[in-house]
Amino acid sequence: MDPFIAQQLLNWLVLSSIYALIALGFSLLFGVLDVIHFSHGDISMVASFVALGSMQYLLASVLPPGSGLALLLACLLAIVATGLLGIVIDWLVIRRFRHAPAMMVLVATVALGAVVRELIRTLYPQGSNPKPFPALIEGSTWIGGVVVTSLGVFIIVTAIVLVSGVALLLRYTMLGARIRAVAEDRDVARLMAIRPNRIFAITFFIASAVGAVGAMFYASYAGVVRFDFGVQLGLIGFSAAAIGGLGSMPGAVLGSMLIAGIETLVQATLADGASYRLVFGFVAVILVLVLRPSGILGKPVFVKV
Amino acid sequence: MNPETATPRAPGAPAAAARGGRLPDHLIVAAIELVGAWLLAVFLLSRTTWLIVLVLALFGAALVVMRLRPAIEERIVAAFGRARITALVLGGAIVLAYPFLLGGNSYAIHILIIGQLYAVLALALNFQLGSANIPNFATGASYGIGAYTSALLAVTFGVSFWLTLPAAAAVATFFGFVIGFPSMRTRDTYLALVTIAFAVVVHQLMNNFEWTGGPNGLVGIPAPSLFGHSFNSPIEIFGYRAPGQANFYYLAVALMVLSIVSARRLHDSRVGLAWNALREDELAARCQGINVVWFKMLAFGVDAFLAAFAGTVYAFYVGYISPDNFTFLVSVTIMTMVIVGGMDNAFGVIVGAFLLTMLPEKLRVFNDYRLLFVSALVILFLILRPQGLFPQRLRVYGGRK
Repeated sequence: MDPFIAQQLLNWLVLSSIYALIALGFSLLFGVLDVIHFSHGDISMVASFVALGSMQYLLASVLPPGSGLALLLACLLAIVATGLLGIVIDWLVIRRFRHAPAMMVLVATVALGAVVRELIRTLYPQGSNPKPFPALIEGSTWIGGVVVTSLGVFIIVTAIVLVSGVALLLRYTMLGARIRAVAEDRDVARLMAIRPNRIFAITFFIASAVGAVGAMFYASYAGVVRFDFGVQLGLIGFSAAAIGGLGSMPGAVLGSMLIAGIETLVQATLADGASYRLVFGFVAVILVLVLRPSGILGKPVFVKV
Repeated sequence: MNPETATPRAPGAPAAAARGGRLPDHLIVAAIELVGAWLLAVFLLSRTTWLIVLVLALFGAALVVMRLRPAIEERIVAAFGRARITALVLGGAIVLAYPFLLGGNSYAIHILIIGQLYAVLALALNFQLGSANIPNFATGASYGIGAYTSALLAVTFGVSFWLTLPAAAAVATFFGFVIGFPSMRTRDTYLALVTIAFAVVVHQLMNNFEWTGGPNGLVGIPAPSLFGHSFNSPIEIFGYRAPGQANFYYLAVALMVLSIVSARRLHDSRVGLAWNALREDELAARCQGINVVWFKMLAFGVDAFLAAFAGTVYAFYVGYISPDNFTFLVSVTIMTMVIVGGMDNAFGVIVGAFLLTMLPEKLRVFNDYRLLFVSALVILFLILRPQGLFPQRLRVYGGRK
């Protein structure tokens, strides 16, 4: 295979993996709670800052300088912290809108995203400036004229493991059965001694923790992170989940691959592709939704009287 | 504050006789309008934080009282209904005299102009979100298309402001119908995403094209002039003087009046009724013979039309536009205004627009925490009063008595 094409294919897979981790959260939350949690991208992006902050703390006071352990510990802490933040958000905000129209939740979570962004900006030291984000794994090899970074491989493998892990969890475990029961009908699930609120909290934890991984990959892949990176990541993740079909796990992956594919293609073929990649990506989103109004793998909605 | 009480009270008395309303009605109307205008002026001109907070607290208290005692609200609405001429004449006089009452404070007038433009945008969005419950995150994009169309025409071809106005409206309306097109098939969240995607695409294109000036935007948009009076020069009437902004203030007033009139006319017409029917139940509406697709697309078209007007006035007022004025987040702000004000209630929507324009401006004391504060306030508001400050009122049939 031509090295250039192979390189682009690799980039495409890495980008798809990052987007899929975010899109998964959107799809899961929509499937279970029937809400669009628009601040998902911003909440996931909190993880990058938690990781950066705690890594600096660990290196400065606890661990010897240059220790690789600091990054690992910081990332794990960030994942758990972001998951817990998801639960807090559900408890503080989303729960108040259980019976409200869908538009209300959408607007409320957009405002929530602004709150989260502003909190990062004001709480993190010099939060307005971009911060360098370390590569989670260093090193790269040349295979047939293609640069294969360890980070890229790590991202792809982790994404596959996480996405299939969540899918298996939903399909084969008792917890998964409970989540699906609540997604199907929360009132009937209640009759089966399942507490919907607890399931919602668990769903929020899973979605936010997986999103945290995605956001840290995004920051690490770009090598830099800024307080408002969550907006674009959230928009793309939401679009990917929606064109795949909200509530469908394979759809989220497919949607991510589609958007990432268009971005990579535009960037690789057009002269100033980098500035036009969002244009083509979102035009594709519009086209897909015009042709398939409920997403590619979404169930068509039949209006019943 | 002296001229304020002196000028507008005069038209109240003759109108009472002409209209046959009772005296208390006229007094209520006059008191509310004068006190409202006075508080707004205090709010706009104050530099001390406690005064701003006090005015806001008064506003909040009035809302709470009206909620606890609905009879008071009913009385006020009835008074306005019966003493319409007084309300209009007095309100018109206050609005016309306002730049002079503000004592030529150009910053206060600037806030009012921006507030009015946002009120127009919120009214435009209200046709869809409020009347027909169609999610639309592209109002900011239509606003931008209007602004860019007129600015480009003026800067590159030297077209006069008055000619760019209809041109911008035509272009934006065309695009409005284009975004409305997918609404034939997609709905709810998916339709919201289509409009979001459209907004992102428009913003990115403005940012990337060379002929739109890229991220630097367009500079040097000439000020319009009317009958030889340039909009940059101050106004002088009977020795009273108002800064150049006042020209644009009156332009914005004209635009807002146009929007209010069309909002009311549409709300009271079959079109407004059809939109409300769509909102309640699309299938039932279709069964009643309502052309669902046409009315949805019409909502998008009307929205884009008014938004383009607002965009044109904005472009010529500020004289400089850049893509960052028209991001997706602008649409969200407009949407918040509609929801906070009260869906499908023109008055509420205007109040929401002014409130959300003025709050961040006057809360500059909070400086870095402004956006945080306002966003948190919006969430709190949506939780506590999801129906908005002023919910839609029941339609009155059989004509106004």
